[in-house]
Amino acid sequence: MSRHLSGFRAWMWQRASAVYLAGFFIYVLAYLIAAPPVDHQALKGWVGNPGMWLATALFFLFLLLHAWIGVRDVILDYIKPAGLRLGMLAAVFVFVLICGLWVLSILMGVL
Amino acid sequence: MPGEPRPVFLNLLQIRLPVAGVMSIAHRAAGVLLFLALPFAIALLALALSDQEGFAQVQVLSQQPLMQGGLLLLLWALAHHFLAGIRYLLIDIHLGVQAPWYRQTAWAVLAAAPVLALLLLWGLS
Amino acid sequence: MEFQIYRFNPDVDQEPRMQSFAVEVERGMMLRDVLLEIKSRDESFAFRHSCGEGVCGSDGVNVNGRNQLACITPVSDYENGPVVIRPLPGRPVTRDLVVDMSDFYHQYHAVDPWLKRKDPVPEQENLQTPEQRARLDGLWECILCGCCSTSCPSFWWNPQKFLGPQALLSSWRFLADSRDQAEDERLDALDGPYKVFRCHTIMNCVDACPKHLNPTRAIGHIRNLMLKKSV
Repeated sequence: MSRHLSGFRAWMWQRASAVYLAGFFIYVLAYLIAAPPVDHQALKGWVGNPGMWLATALFFLFLLLHAWIGVRDVILDYIKPAGLRLGMLAAVFVFVLICGLWVLSILMGVL
Repeated sequence: MPGEPRPVFLNLLQIRLPVAGVMSIAHRAAGVLLFLALPFAIALLALALSDQEGFAQVQVLSQQPLMQGGLLLLLWALAHHFLAGIRYLLIDIHLGVQAPWYRQTAWAVLAAAPVLALLLLWGLS
Repeated sequence: MEFQIYRFNPDVDQEPRMQSFAVEVERGMMLRDVLLEIKSRDESFAFRHSCGEGVCGSDGVNVNGRNQLACITPVSDYENGPVVIRPLPGRPVTRDLVVDMSDFYHQYHAVDPWLKRKDPVPEQENLQTPEQRARLDGLWECILCGCCSTSCPSFWWNPQKFLGPQALLSSWRFLADSRDQAEDERLDALDGPYKVFRCHTIMNCVDACPKHLNPTRAIGHIRNLMLKKSV
């Protein structure tokens, strides 16, 4: 029914984003063990590299999506009163949005 | 008036939570913790990417005992959430959904997470 | 051996209480035998039971924190006691160990637990291959005891919106049946964030089922079918 929030789509996006996040996490871990950036120059060079920059931007996009769906599930499980529920979902949404814009500004500074 | 409302037995301390359930609630708690730590993590990233002074500041900060403690906690949350997440993805494709594997993998996740966290802390220091 | 039993009489009590009984245990005794012994001492004690062999699903109770069927749970499983017997969790208590299962039954009916046909009924048998019949194994055996759904935290928090492991297993029982012809209709009825998707794969249900069924696996099948039909 269209008046409901999605169930299936949220579940699917949470799984799909999880796969990307897991892959990126493993890659970053391997890189940090093999060749950790020793100074600011090295870090900026690594993240500024076009491929890595894109992968990092996607990482944060999927991270925020994954986090939004997860916290939404927690709220839907435990918070019953409709007003409180709406308020909390809205607050979390804004929080996620702000984090996203912040990360975007950081990444723009690296390009 | 006696009898109303009807009582409900729902004392969580008296209800036995199986190992998969323990792993599951820990996965949720870890997720919430990571979510709340997000702005701090982004702030650290911003500092490290700003200039050499900022990068050095992050290095120094992360060596402080309180920060090491907080870092260990977050790395444990991350390790647990990550390993439990992998287990869930495998269960989604019917791997490890039957007995005894779903219990064995739950134990494995609970045990491996702190070990992974310590390894990560050591590796990143 | 000591047995601590949850008591609540709605005509008299404001709060439930625990009552202790010392019962002589013999070899081969099941928990239901203990409950019947207690009933012989105290006529006012109420609990549901019927077949005595784990097939009717009447006597689900919570024993030392775990949901069990009283008639097939040996007393010898509990070495020294005390054995603490409480009603199934999350359900309003009608009296002593008898709980109100209305939400549970409502969710079962909500999945339309019968075969739906579009074609006219065949003149003779509605045939299935052995492989098609095999798909129903692990699903048809459900005795509606409620051990699974009353062990599920998601069902505790949302018993009227979340279908719960039993109803979802039943839903898959019909989705998986080659003779059923209402797949799209059934999947549409599972829409939204509550009916199926309050399941977070906690898997308390698999631990609790006295018939060793696997609602998590059935729910996984439902989600995979939804995925298959969405692309």
